[in-house]
This record gives sequence, structure tokens and C-alpha cells, in this order.
Amino acid sequence: MGPLSYGAENMIDTYSRHRPFALLAIVVVAQVLLLAFQIKGEHDVRLIRYWAVALVTPLERAGTWSFSKVGGAWGGYVGLRNARAENEHMRIELDQLRLRNRELESQAAEVARLGALLSFRNAHPEASMLPAQVIGSSADPTSHTLFINRGEHDRLRMNMGVVTPDGIVGKIVEVLPDTAQVLLINDKDSGVGALFSATRTHGVVRGSGDPEPRMDYVVNDEKVQPGDAIVTSGEDRIFPKDFPIGTVESCKPSNPFQTIRVQPSARLDRLEEVLVLLSQQEVVFKKQEAPAAASAPAKTAPANPSATPQ
Amino acid sequence: MLNLGERSDPNVEVHKFYGGAVLAVCLLALVFQAFLHKYGRWSELIDLPLLVTIYFGVSRRNPVTGLFLGGTIGILQDALSHDNPIGMYGIAKTMVGYLASSIGGRIDTEHPLSRFGLVFCFFHFHQIVLAITQRVLLNHSAPLFTLRLFLDSLVTAAFAVPLFALLDRLRRPS
Repeated sequence: MGPLSYGAENMIDTYSRHRPFALLAIVVVAQVLLLAFQIKGEHDVRLIRYWAVALVTPLERAGTWSFSKVGGAWGGYVGLRNARAENEHMRIELDQLRLRNRELESQAAEVARLGALLSFRNAHPEASMLPAQVIGSSADPTSHTLFINRGEHDRLRMNMGVVTPDGIVGKIVEVLPDTAQVLLINDKDSGVGALFSATRTHGVVRGSGDPEPRMDYVVNDEKVQPGDAIVTSGEDRIFPKDFPIGTVESCKPSNPFQTIRVQPSARLDRLEEVLVLLSQQEVVFKKQEAPAAASAPAKTAPANPSATPQ
Repeated sequence: MLNLGERSDPNVEVHKFYGGAVLAVCLLALVFQAFLHKYGRWSELIDLPLLVTIYFGVSRRNPVTGLFLGGTIGILQDALSHDNPIGMYGIAKTMVGYLASSIGGRIDTEHPLSRFGLVFCFFHFHQIVLAITQRVLLNHSAPLFTLRLFLDSLVTAAFAVPLFALLDRLRRPS
């Protein structure tokens, strides 16, 4: 008898020896399952169903977990692949939105400024005004001038006043068909008849070439404080009387008159929209009672031709 | 009839019975168990199907025959009871039939004392399997051992000695 047949016999022997026990296990398990079909456990659920669920649920849970993990990993991989392109796309979109936002902010600011101009114009119906947009400025750094988008075709003439709701800006010195040049009050060639709002003391606001103009012809005896309001005197027949020019920034005695630096009310370095006074006649913008000081004799030099814009 | 081709150890003496004797005895045991139950609780002292399972198990000495015989008797006993789920006695008697057949050839099962001890032990084994099945599947607090069960086992074992002697008469002479 060869080793092969001996091994086969051994296997058959082992099988025969364990066959009764295997049958016993099968029969017992079959009867347990039979019982499980009949017996109802908690919540009136048959045991066989309960066992089946208990057997299958962990497998399902493991399957779900595996699928979710695999799906998550795949999603992450795909997401990473698309993230770069999406990031680039979003960056471009963000730049466009930022640009658009700036445009909208600019438009909103423009609307606010135009609204202020309109309100100012509506508040003074007696004065004929024309809104204009600043389109450029002087190329010479020592010259404080700017250009507006209105000209001869809009009935603009030389020496017409240019103002903003905050205060005066300057006067027109050059008129072209569609544009006009405005000489700002801080230009060294400029001069405006002025007076202190409180004391009614006269003087002349002149440009000095610096951003801040100065007020001349105020004697040393005159009490001037920083912050004192300076308004137009109306004597130059360009600007209406009592229109804001600015406030005293600093003052110091000098010979023969005080040296007074003026902070303009209008922001001359950030002008975008202005109003041109079409009428050169005297227009009273502020109808207020003249203070007692105004009736007193002026201690400063009276308005003289040099006070008018040159 | 229940021998499914399984052969017993050729060195072990196997008792054979007259044709239909096994079937008839098993049916009678089931009928008597159900019938006597109507006449009082005293019949609960003796588990006739268990005794028949043990007797034919140790006599035929074939585990496969023994487990199928025990399983069939147990399932029929479950079917005849009004509230037992099918399989409760079936499991217990299947295991008893298997064990009885397995050890039938190893120990002396002919002596009355030996039969008394064998039945006593199988009674408690049967009860333990039954109790565990009920506890696990039915969630019932079935007792594993009580004084009442002890007395029952003594009565059943005592009853088994003359019963087995009576059943010996059904054996075919070898």
C-alpha cells in the first residue's frame, strides 16, 4: 500500500470518526434555527430576524464605513486635482470682484458728492450755478490750477467764481470752448477779499505757493486766534459775501501786518466736482444779522483793488 | 429503520429489535406521556420519551441513529405540548440520544444499577440542556438543579430499571 493511499485512508478515517459529531452539530443548529423562527424576543421581533440583523448589521456598518472612507479618499483626490484650477478661477473672480467693488465705491462716492452739490445748489436758488467736473490739473507744481469740463459753450466767462459746498475754490482764468482753467485760491497769483466771520475785520487771502494760503493786511493789534472762521467779503464781486474761505491755522505778529496762515475749507487737493457761479453780481448766501463788531470801523485795510483776484 | 448506513464499532455488541418495535415503542411513549398528563401531575415525575431515547441509544450504540431518534422524539414531544416552541425538547433529546449511543458501547448498560445511574445522569444532563436553551432563547429563568428535579431524577431512574427490562424482551435474539 503506497503512502498516497495510506493518507487517503487516514482522511476517510478522520471523516468517519467525526461524522456523527458533525451531524449532531448540524441537527442541533437546525433545531436552534427552528426555535428562532418561532420565538419572539423583545419588541415582538422573531429571534431569527434579530440574529440575522445582528449578524448582518456589523457587516453593513463595516461596508458603509469602508465605502465612505474610500469615497472620501476618492473625493479628496478628485478635489485636490480640481482645487488648483478652482483656486485659480476663484482668484481671478476675486480680482474682478475687487475691481468691481472699487468701481462701485467710486460711483457711490461720486453720487454722494454730486448729491451734496445738488443739495447746495437747491438750497440757493437765487444763485445761478453750473456743476462741473474736474478733468485735470496744472503740470507745473508751483502753479495751483485745474481744468474743468465746462467752457465757452456752457456760458462760462473769465473771473467767474468756482466753489464747493464746503467753501470757495478759485476763479476762472482761461475759457476754452469746452474747458476752462481755474486758478485756485492757494496759487501765488490769487487774491480774495475776506473778513473774519466774528470780528468782521477785513483782509485779503492770497496764495503763497504753499498748499495753505495766507491772510494779509491784518494789523498786529487785531486779536486773531487759530480756528477763527474767515469768509468772503464780497467786495471782489466774484464770490458772494459771507461764503466760507477757511479757518486760521496759525498767526504771528510781523511787520507791519500779522502773518496768518489759512486752512481752506474746500479740500483743494481732492477736488472732483465743483460749482461755477454764473452770476458775477453780488449774491447774499447767508442772510444773517450783522454782528455788532461788523458795524464798528474796520481796523484793517479797506477792500482795495488788489484784493480782487488778479 | 433509523440507521442511516452508519456502522457501529464491530467490536461492540449491538442489539437489534423486532421490526417496527422501535417505532411502536417511541409512539407509545409519546402517547402515554400525553395521555397520562391528563390524569394528574404525578405523570410529570417520569419523562417516558427521555427513557425511550436513552434505552434505544445505548442499545443500538450508533451515534447517528441515536441523535436522529432523540431529535425526532423530542420534536414530536414539543409538537404535542401546547406551549413549547418546536425544538426545545428536540435539542435536548438529540444530545441525549447522541451521548447515550456514544457511551453505550463503553460501559455496561445491562446491569440494573448501571441503568439506574445512567438514567439519573442523563436526566440531569437533559434538564441542564433544556434549562440553558430556555434561558438563552426564551429568556426564562429555568432551574438547572432543584430538590424537586433531584427527586424526579430518582423516580425516573427507578422507573427506568423495570421499563428497560421490559423493553429487553423486544430484542431479537442474536
